[in-house]
Amino acid sequence: MMHDTHSTPTLSIQNVSKHFETGKGTVTAVDHVSLDIQQGEFISIIGPSGCGKSTLMNMIGGLITEYDGSILLDGKPVRGCQPEIGMVFQEESTFPWRTALDNVAFPLEAGGVPKDKRHVRAHELLDLVGLTGFENHFPSELSGGMRQRIAIARTLAFQPRILLMDEPFAALDEQTRLLLGDKVVQIQQKLKQTTLLITHNIAEAVQLSDRVLIMTFRPGRIKRVVEITLPRPRSSEMVGSEKFAAYVAEIWADLRQEASKGLKETEAAAAH
Amino acid sequence: MALAKQMISRVTLYRISAALFLLTLWEAAGASGLFFKGVLPSTWFIGKSLIRLSGDPIFWGHFSVTLFEILSGFAIGSLVGIIVGLALGMNRYSGQIFEPVIEYLAATPKVVFLPILLILFGIGVGSKISLAALSCFFPMTLSLAAGVRGMNPMFLRVGQTLNLSLAQRIRMIYLPALVPPISTGLRLGFGIATVGALLSEIKLSNKGLGHAAMQAYARFDIPTMMAILIVIFALAGLGNMLIGSIIRLPGPNTRRLTKETS
Repeated sequence: MMHDTHSTPTLSIQNVSKHFETGKGTVTAVDHVSLDIQQGEFISIIGPSGCGKSTLMNMIGGLITEYDGSILLDGKPVRGCQPEIGMVFQEESTFPWRTALDNVAFPLEAGGVPKDKRHVRAHELLDLVGLTGFENHFPSELSGGMRQRIAIARTLAFQPRILLMDEPFAALDEQTRLLLGDKVVQIQQKLKQTTLLITHNIAEAVQLSDRVLIMTFRPGRIKRVVEITLPRPRSSEMVGSEKFAAYVAEIWADLRQEASKGLKETEAAAAH
Repeated sequence: MALAKQMISRVTLYRISAALFLLTLWEAAGASGLFFKGVLPSTWFIGKSLIRLSGDPIFWGHFSVTLFEILSGFAIGSLVGIIVGLALGMNRYSGQIFEPVIEYLAATPKVVFLPILLILFGIGVGSKISLAALSCFFPMTLSLAAGVRGMNPMFLRVGQTLNLSLAQRIRMIYLPALVPPISTGLRLGFGIATVGALLSEIKLSNKGLGHAAMQAYARFDIPTMMAILIVIFALAGLGNMLIGSIIRLPGPNTRRLTKETS
């Protein structure tokens, strides 16, 4: 099937809202969010804790199925999990009983791909994320950053139309995070993988994205969209550049208001 | 390394001397005349009985009956235990409804069910197998239900995002993730399956090692009885060791699993 990539976005989020019932009444986590992602685009959603960005991600990924509005993949409405929408989580999710290779081959094995074929594919993907030579290592023998790369390779194994990543590097230290950012840039360059990244790290968002969406604190709305026009390929060396710093400052100015609102509300709630 | 070796040899040394000490105590108590004559036969006579039994086809008949009862009871009880444990752990409501009942029953000595089992399955191997199965069912079920609940929820999330079927989730996620609780269940289960089979043999039966031991007791052939008991101990111990080593065969996996989840 061929799509005119400019008329039909790969992923289209249309007027999506999510309300939660709590003891104190209804909380609106996500409020009328609309967003189009074109084939090959890398988009980051950034926002303070509690802005509903993970909720949004879980709705797109199909883990939350009850919400208002609609989500379209290649123009077709979807609800619930689709193998075409790949998810990478913040939490540890590699299977400790499988080697790196068999972890990456997992989705292919579930899909009935024969052993030799899926191993060839898994080798390629491990190479892509820079883990050649670690095929037969178990996750416990690898670092947190390496395990997270296995999780990314595993998700890519099914060749998803769109890759969703929910703060995949949040548990890692800053240096590792920057270097892994380089890796993600390289992967992006090679695969032209359409990606939606959820993060609360501004530098990460600027380094990786074509567009950065800033979300408001509860209820979660899209406050502003910042186009990042830094030349590609980018690397972590850019983090020190003036242009980079200007983007970070611009985003922080917006984010700061939301984050302090969130902080105030959290502290007020704690005081009660 | 040298220190480790020294430690091991020291432990072994203590073990051997402890065994020798117990043997001496046994012999001394037997020779002391404090007990009724023949109650504590010399290890020499027990050894002779053992040798005689090893050439006795009737003994081997009893042996194979007991082995069959233990193994089939163990297999049935463990399999059903795995299935029920998975179901209890996977479904919050079934867990909340049935688990308290299972926990109460688990604490009850299973031998109280023997009269029912005798009526249901007769005094042959049926009642023995069913008591063995019933005995090892409980630890497996409870160990597995707890194991499912302790699983990293992200494993299941991954399965969910890939739209795996229930059979795929069980085969590719639940079972491999649950190797540690399953092996615990198997190891605990084998011992008490043995207890279950032998207990019911001793109570009422016409075959098996328990029956043979009771016959020797009735004849007041204490050395033979002791010899049979030794065979039973060896059987239980060997089975336990065997299960332990089989489960540990994919070795690094099991160890890694526990390391990972801790």
